[in-house]
Amino acid sequence: MTGDANPYVPHSDAERATMLDAVGADGVEDLFDVPDGVRFDGDFGIPSRDERSVRREVRDTLGANADVTEFLGRGHYDHYVPAVVDDLADRSEFLTSYTQYQPEIAQGFLQALFEYQSLLVELTGLPVANASMYDAATALGEAALLADRVRATHGDAIYVPETLRAERRAVLDTYVAGPGLTVETYPTAEGTADVAGLRAALGDDAILVYAETPTVRGCVEPALSAVGDAAEDAGALFCVGSDPVALSLLERPADAGADVVVGDASVLGLGASYGTGLGVFATREEYLRQVPGRLVGASEDASGRRAYTLTLQTREQHIRRERATSNICTNQAHLALRAAVHAAWLGPDGLVALAERCVELPRNLAAEFDGVAGVRAPVDDRHPFREFVAETARPADEVAAALLDRGYAVHAVDDHEVQVCVTETTADETDGLIAALTEVA
Amino acid sequence: MRHDQARWTEEGAYEPLLSETRTETAEPGDALPDDLTRDGLELPAPAEPEVARHYTRLAQMTYGVDSGPFPLGSCTMKYNPKFTDALAGRPEGAVHPDRPDEALQGTLAVCHGLQRHLAAIGGMDAVSLQPPAGAAGEFTGIHVARAHHRANGDERSEVLVPEGAHGTNFATAAMAGYDVVEVPAGDDGRVDLDALRAAAGPETAALMLTNPNTLGLFERDIQAIADVVHDAGGLLYYDGANLNALLGRARPGDMGFDVMHYNVHKTFATPHGGGGPGAGPVGVTEELAPYLPAPVVEEREDGYRRVEPLRSIGKVHGFHGNWPAVVRAYAYIARLGDEGLRAASANAVLNANYLAERIDFDIPYGPFHHEFVASADRDAADVAKRMLDYGVHPPTTKWPEAVDEALMTEPTEAESLADLDRLAEAFDQVARDDDETLRNAPERTAARRVDQTDAARNPRLSWQALDEE
Amino acid sequence: MSFDVPADRRYRESHEWIRSADGRVGISDFAQDELGDVVFVELPAEGDRIEQGETFGVVESIKAVSNLYAPVSGEVTAVNDALDQAPELVNEDPYGEGWLLDVEFDEGDLDALLTPDAYRAQIE
Repeated sequence: MTGDANPYVPHSDAERATMLDAVGADGVEDLFDVPDGVRFDGDFGIPSRDERSVRREVRDTLGANADVTEFLGRGHYDHYVPAVVDDLADRSEFLTSYTQYQPEIAQGFLQALFEYQSLLVELTGLPVANASMYDAATALGEAALLADRVRATHGDAIYVPETLRAERRAVLDTYVAGPGLTVETYPTAEGTADVAGLRAALGDDAILVYAETPTVRGCVEPALSAVGDAAEDAGALFCVGSDPVALSLLERPADAGADVVVGDASVLGLGASYGTGLGVFATREEYLRQVPGRLVGASEDASGRRAYTLTLQTREQHIRRERATSNICTNQAHLALRAAVHAAWLGPDGLVALAERCVELPRNLAAEFDGVAGVRAPVDDRHPFREFVAETARPADEVAAALLDRGYAVHAVDDHEVQVCVTETTADETDGLIAALTEVA
Repeated sequence: MRHDQARWTEEGAYEPLLSETRTETAEPGDALPDDLTRDGLELPAPAEPEVARHYTRLAQMTYGVDSGPFPLGSCTMKYNPKFTDALAGRPEGAVHPDRPDEALQGTLAVCHGLQRHLAAIGGMDAVSLQPPAGAAGEFTGIHVARAHHRANGDERSEVLVPEGAHGTNFATAAMAGYDVVEVPAGDDGRVDLDALRAAAGPETAALMLTNPNTLGLFERDIQAIADVVHDAGGLLYYDGANLNALLGRARPGDMGFDVMHYNVHKTFATPHGGGGPGAGPVGVTEELAPYLPAPVVEEREDGYRRVEPLRSIGKVHGFHGNWPAVVRAYAYIARLGDEGLRAASANAVLNANYLAERIDFDIPYGPFHHEFVASADRDAADVAKRMLDYGVHPPTTKWPEAVDEALMTEPTEAESLADLDRLAEAFDQVARDDDETLRNAPERTAARRVDQTDAARNPRLSWQALDEE
Repeated sequence: MSFDVPADRRYRESHEWIRSADGRVGISDFAQDELGDVVFVELPAEGDRIEQGETFGVVESIKAVSNLYAPVSGEVTAVNDALDQAPELVNEDPYGEGWLLDVEFDEGDLDALLTPDAYRAQIE
């Protein structure tokens, strides 16, 4: 310890004096070329504290979060993250490394990202998957921009389901503002696409049709191919939103005709984290040069061995500047590493088993909900994935508030509808939830 | 110092792919009907001990800040304090954003605290933590500018960007629907005020500026620059990439900037993680506060609340950005306090000046601060490859274009004197190495020079693509 | 280093050439050398119209992306599809196999272009 105001500066006073001497300055202040008119001589009012105090303070502050069991989903999910993920992904070589601009010294991380890309290729059925976007919402925004860029489409309208989460819609609206695209909605029924309604809504201005599976209401989309057909007939790209656990079980988007797949892969490797995401972006070979974000490719090195490198960087901002496919630079790479470790640990059997639990758990819980007086579940006549919507005789926000008082968090999604998510991390608490619901319904 | 990086090799490759060790195919059971499920899922199926070995080896073939110096210009690769690791993880961070505010008072308190600290540090009035990266922060800031102009009945079409600016600035402006007008630098490497006057006009929505700029120079005329842009009715945007040079000594708000982003994975030491997640919070003056993306955390009598500013531009992320980076940045600032932050900029500038003094390279522009741009006597990319053999990560190469064979170098405050001397020695040793050595470099890293041309001409982006060959 | 500047072409200062005899368009030897290894070329489609002095496409190397500026105005009658699989032809044979497209153009457009001598003077 140097006893300095900043413990991460490894200089003693003597060393600093040596350095100042070498540069010919009397004091560090002499090295600053900041005009008096803009110098700041004040304080921020932030005291410095030792490590133990800061750790305790932050823990205590976060301890103010209510101690509740979260039966929450709608686009952000909690699954069990095995110990190997923290242990391996947080190795400081990985954690403290930079974007792999010098591949020779970063083969490890590059290979991990290459394996992550391959995981998404298997799950989506599309041959090109990037090494991450920020989250599902921004990935959808980028899909809209890609649809606008490609020659295959003519028009300016993005079609999304009317039930699209408002936050995702808001992000999409921000992304389309620049190129002046519009966002239209198509109707849904039973929590999934109303294909006839979609076909009626589609105009010849369509360039992208978006559908999620599972949908935001937790329904497995039974008409994915039909939505894809409608998109194709309208001359639009078909974009599917999903996640790697769901895709371990559900029909492959490529088989349903998807041109692009977006979504959130933080269901692996991260779990609930106040909405932190890991955006997925996968697409066809023909749109390769329109893909945003980092791509890791395999090549050879001077010793003739297979080696990995960031590739097609001319798409990106640091080379292409205003003609870049996106401005994205720093993304979610470390979370992609975490997801890859988690997927490796699960293996295909583990992933499929987890996904099947994601069907069985909400199915069973919905049946139990239905057995409670004043509650009808599931509302949507569809197969569930992780979650379902229940109708309550009592106003939903009252039910949700009352449940929260008893230590259970659910969503209130409409006047008389609550939505409940259950995964293996909350499966043990469902009895308590049912008991509480019985009291408050 | 020399560095022989760990290397695992086997028959024409380094560490085998997981898919080359063992894959299995898992078939769906009967949880769902066949027409709703996929065919078998074929993926690697390593046992846990194999997972541990695989990723341990990959980590050994990866170089991070904890391995050695990482003087990438404008990246601020400083030491990542370990105590923040635990705070970023579970269980405290494992909350769902759809909890009502009253059940999230802890998380919101931390968010509010960081908003407040960043506002103070930047001289801004309001901050949103939603943008999940610096580029996203730029995107947000330009959209704030756009909304501001529209509210004034103004449809401006241009964003001004200095020629040496980071690529994200150009890409961001284009993504937001603006035409980019490049502003040349003068002979001294700073914004050419006359050129700026000529370029600024009724179409100018904003000027995006990093200060100090990418040559490490402080834009001395910043007040005049601000006046030119404001007189033309435009807004002044601060790219926070180089904020580490100014911590505690100057604030963008005092210089006339209206809107800025912070890079917490640069200035506030959150780990880069091989390319993120970072965070790019945006700060604005009071006048622009109504346009910030939602949510912004406010402190009310009955606690913290997430609010949507009155004329919010909407959202730039599905939830509230990258929590792990937010909590780490908060903890870092709380640890350092005023004194520690001032010491960061002081030592960052001292270290850069000392390193520049020690190396035998021409540095055409000065006086610089936390970073300098040296000119290599040979291809900067080759120089960089050879530096790897001396156990250091090379500087950023070939940018900014104002310097031939540029080596943009930012050691940060976290390099010791001994490591700075080693870094200087690496620079000078490479300068003495002959051309052939440079062309054959690197020799001591895990991989030898990778063929990037072939990777671009024949993209193979998955193990499935390799299998198809 | 001496670059090839064939006599049967006209040149733009931005390094594109056109062969007046048949409207074949490409980039010069100097340009391919400056760019480095070409990895991709983005060209218009047959039937598209290009305008003299405006961007009609892009040529990418691993380190840079360069706009292609039309030496003349006219309708594109053919595009070199071989570049899809073999972009390196632009480096190897910029005046032959590495051609970019054929365009139907007006003779008068040639007046705005550089003669081989004038172009050589520019690049040396």
